[in-house]
Amino acid sequence: MLEWLQQTSLAVHIRDSLFAFPLIESTHVIGLTLVFGTIAIVDLRLLGFASTQRSFQRLASDTLKWTWVAFAVTALTGGLMFITNAAVYFHNPYFRAKIVLLVLAAINVFVFEVTTGRTVQRWDQARSAPPLGRTVAALSLVIWIAVIVSGRMIGFTTTRASLAEPAPVETNFEDLLGLPPAK
Amino acid sequence: MKQFALWLSTTFPSVFIQEHNSWSIPAIQSVHIVGIAMVMGSVLMINLRILGWAWVDQTLRQTVSRFGPWLNGSLWLLLVTGILMVIGEPVRELVTLSFWLKMTLVATGALVAAIFQKTLRQHEQHWEDTLVHRRSIKTLAILTFLIWVCIIVLGRLIAYDHVWGSWSPSERQ
Repeated sequence: MLEWLQQTSLAVHIRDSLFAFPLIESTHVIGLTLVFGTIAIVDLRLLGFASTQRSFQRLASDTLKWTWVAFAVTALTGGLMFITNAAVYFHNPYFRAKIVLLVLAAINVFVFEVTTGRTVQRWDQARSAPPLGRTVAALSLVIWIAVIVSGRMIGFTTTRASLAEPAPVETNFEDLLGLPPAK
Repeated sequence: MKQFALWLSTTFPSVFIQEHNSWSIPAIQSVHIVGIAMVMGSVLMINLRILGWAWVDQTLRQTVSRFGPWLNGSLWLLLVTGILMVIGEPVRELVTLSFWLKMTLVATGALVAAIFQKTLRQHEQHWEDTLVHRRSIKTLAILTFLIWVCIIVLGRLIAYDHVWGSWSPSERQ
């Protein structure tokens, strides 16, 4: 399965391209910063640290739809990076930790939805959520920071499948753009 | 710049980070990413308010009071962690095209944020009544967001500076 993923023409294309992997990785970072940035807004509201004067439901509806869009982008680009070197990533401990943490984040949201989320009408205007809601929010911040750390560690503990050859110094942007050659 | 980077890499703080690079570099980078996330969340929300897509029950002033301090605080955090990364890996950072393009955009983005917050304080009513409804201001909001998107891309490209071919100083000796 892992071998097959690595052999798909999509994976081969990304590996062979000079620009694909760096740009996919950059898009992954854009997505994940928006995921964490928007989740933090909601968690800080639940904890009573920011936006305490504003209705929780209004704040959540302004924020969480962007979280989901960003999460989709992050998951897609994460998947694309994974298939370029599936067998190596799959056995990387930080990759595994990251997947476990993502599952924990999902369970955390589920716990919120079936407990504090059900009683939102009662605390919607309150400065902070009830204790269980605050616990979920604090856990959420910790889990997502751990996701970021483990994600960064994957990059330090794996080598890319095959580094695309650097653009030869002769095939140049100067030529493409008709500029004088760089010194 | 290469000379300076090489000298910097021999100084005590740089040697200290290098000697503990197995945890120090990823730790600093992780804090840097959390900082970027706070900037992106704040910039997104302020810009969505200007576009009228979110926080519409709040005035622009209220929205900026909520996110401005987090934006400014995160920018300082990014400056500190960014400087630590340059000290820790001077040649890898300073001898790249991506780094200097990124710094140009960071200066632009920070300047836009500062000017925006200052003029909003000084001309609050004008902003709430007219400016925020102007098409040009809405366009500027989108452009500002794109500046931060480009900053993230260029930040990541520091590690892949060879994509610039002969434009990358690290590709020449």
